[in-house]
Amino acid sequence: MVARGLKRKLHDSEDSRGSFWETQLQSVLDISLDKYQRDQALVEPSLLRSVLINNTLRQVQSEVRTSLTEPTSAWKPQPPPRPQPEFLSQREIEDFSLSSAISAILKNLDAALDGGYNPPPSTLLPPPPQRTPLASVENLPGDGKFKQNLGFTHMMESCRTSSVGTSAVVSGIFQESTIDDLLMDLDTSVFGREMSSFAPHTFSFPADELMRYLPSLSTSSPAPSSSSGSREIHELEQIMDILIRS
Amino acid sequence: MAGVGGGNDFQWCFSQVKGAIDEDVAEADIISTVEFNYSGELLATGDKGGRVVIFQREQESKNRPLSRGEYNVYSTFQSHEPEFDYLKSLEIEEKINKIRWLPQQNAAHFLLSTNDKTIKLWKISERDKRAEGYNLKDEDGRLRDPFRISTLRVPVLMPMDLMVEASPRRIFANAHTYHINSISVNSDHETYLSADDLRINLWHLEITDRSFNIVDIKPANMEELTEVITAAECHPHQCNVFVYSSSKGTIRLCDMRAAALCDRHSKFFEEPEDPSSRSFFSEIISSISDVKFSHSGRYMMTRDYLSVKVWDLNMENRPVETYQVHEYLRSKLCSLYENDCIFDKFECCWNGSDSAIMTGSYNNFFRMFDRNTRRDITLEASRENSKPRATLKPRKVCTGGKRKKDEISVDSLDFNKKILHTAWHPKENVIAVAATNNLYIFQDKMN
Repeated sequence: MVARGLKRKLHDSEDSRGSFWETQLQSVLDISLDKYQRDQALVEPSLLRSVLINNTLRQVQSEVRTSLTEPTSAWKPQPPPRPQPEFLSQREIEDFSLSSAISAILKNLDAALDGGYNPPPSTLLPPPPQRTPLASVENLPGDGKFKQNLGFTHMMESCRTSSVGTSAVVSGIFQESTIDDLLMDLDTSVFGREMSSFAPHTFSFPADELMRYLPSLSTSSPAPSSSSGSREIHELEQIMDILIRS
Repeated sequence: MAGVGGGNDFQWCFSQVKGAIDEDVAEADIISTVEFNYSGELLATGDKGGRVVIFQREQESKNRPLSRGEYNVYSTFQSHEPEFDYLKSLEIEEKINKIRWLPQQNAAHFLLSTNDKTIKLWKISERDKRAEGYNLKDEDGRLRDPFRISTLRVPVLMPMDLMVEASPRRIFANAHTYHINSISVNSDHETYLSADDLRINLWHLEITDRSFNIVDIKPANMEELTEVITAAECHPHQCNVFVYSSSKGTIRLCDMRAAALCDRHSKFFEEPEDPSSRSFFSEIISSISDVKFSHSGRYMMTRDYLSVKVWDLNMENRPVETYQVHEYLRSKLCSLYENDCIFDKFECCWNGSDSAIMTGSYNNFFRMFDRNTRRDITLEASRENSKPRATLKPRKVCTGGKRKKDEISVDSLDFNKKILHTAWHPKENVIAVAATNNLYIFQDKMN
């Protein structure tokens, strides 16, 4: 049984708050993502449920943002403070990725309910049915397609890379062959239905596009490199561990 | 034990239980709504299989003066069938979401029943006579040859066994894109409202081909959607006033005289959040699952996941009373989120005099709160307590420390046995409690 809900006290010690909150955050994130993915596979998920889960995910996201912005400062019970400029691009990307994933849920639901493109009946297990790429792209600026697809993976990836740190490691990671490795490691269930609307078996994203969406690593704060060995983006626990410690 | 809903000597006792005893519950038999009519003579239930069962209270007879009238099956009919929306490739569930009775105006009874998409007006009428002695057809119904008829006769009305017929009189369809969660008959007895996740429509009972949209909270960009409508109700006396609740724990009261589209509320009810109890689940547990006006029209009651709140319509910034239903679940919210129980939608109801309120919980427990004495009681709807006129023993959940005898610990609660739907007789102390596929009827001991 997970312990009771978070109580934010101004003078709570770093450690007790950290491990406790971290466990809850991990659980909530895991459970919410699981629900989100399951609901995506449904033909008609309940709108109330989707909205509540999405709002919870947004809250988790803002908590993550807060913890990265102020890793050692006392907690405030109010909404997180404005992020500092050097993190702005990263925040924007995280924010955009997560909210684009969330908006993907809602657009999908809306398209299904408003009689848009008809996806064939879906099952909870792969192969996932077609989603409505056009409907979702309409609402997003820029490279809507690409950003949307990487959704949560983006958040994880950007969070992870931000904490890894040194420029030497940076240059090592982002060579072309390594990018292919990264992409191969991606858990396709995260993509869900998105993937089927693209070339089903090839990852055709150019590496420089991938680079664009990854944060500027020279600005990231120093962090333990405990995760530098791990390339498995979908291991959220490790990622969250790093985030908390950084 | 001092009772709730009446004086100090008040006690609830078992009266009847309807439904199968089988351990294996058929999904279609799960009761999804319970509603007494205005006089309390009739009790309607809807289930997931789209059926409506109406019980009628038998007249108190001289033979058994000590027992109140029992409820027996009066009529059963299939209200909604499963449908398939070919355009969207979506199946439309036949589950009855709500039943609302119309005030009785003649010998027949009328009710509105709705599933996710379509509302139907049903007429339930009795037939206890039939005509005999037709000229053009004989007793079997076969047509007689007109040339063989030599005399004329007047048909005579003869008594027959009582037959209760339910016929659909109106079908209000194609007005809701999202799932209907509420219907409410207006006090003018001519109109009613229906609410889905994003919109509320106003209908005239006689007109099925159009309705007026009075609330629309759908954002232009669905990505911006963060709040949905969860329940709506018309004011019991003022036909221009209605309220609707949201998934963020707010209630908006609207006046239909102010504008055709009531997107701007007249009153906005929200309790400020307690920062010390904030958690990841704060929003989810604040989502209101039911809103009910008191019979007097002065108050309204809302149910969220852990509590019931009574609001004075004249005070918007906080409720006047808050009752904790199962506060011991607050520390279990993460698990309840994981197993989806946190999304359960509990209903609540007032008694006839507005002095007591009732709502359901888990483990087939239901709770009653007396607003005057501030006493509360937890009772259980179970087959074990099903002896006729057996007094219900109050139940208690042990929250920690030593568990006393007869207490049940939080971890032993059965979260599959949830009481979501309850109803209180409009005039007497008779309650109907739906426990999955069984309907329990309890009465007060005092006769």
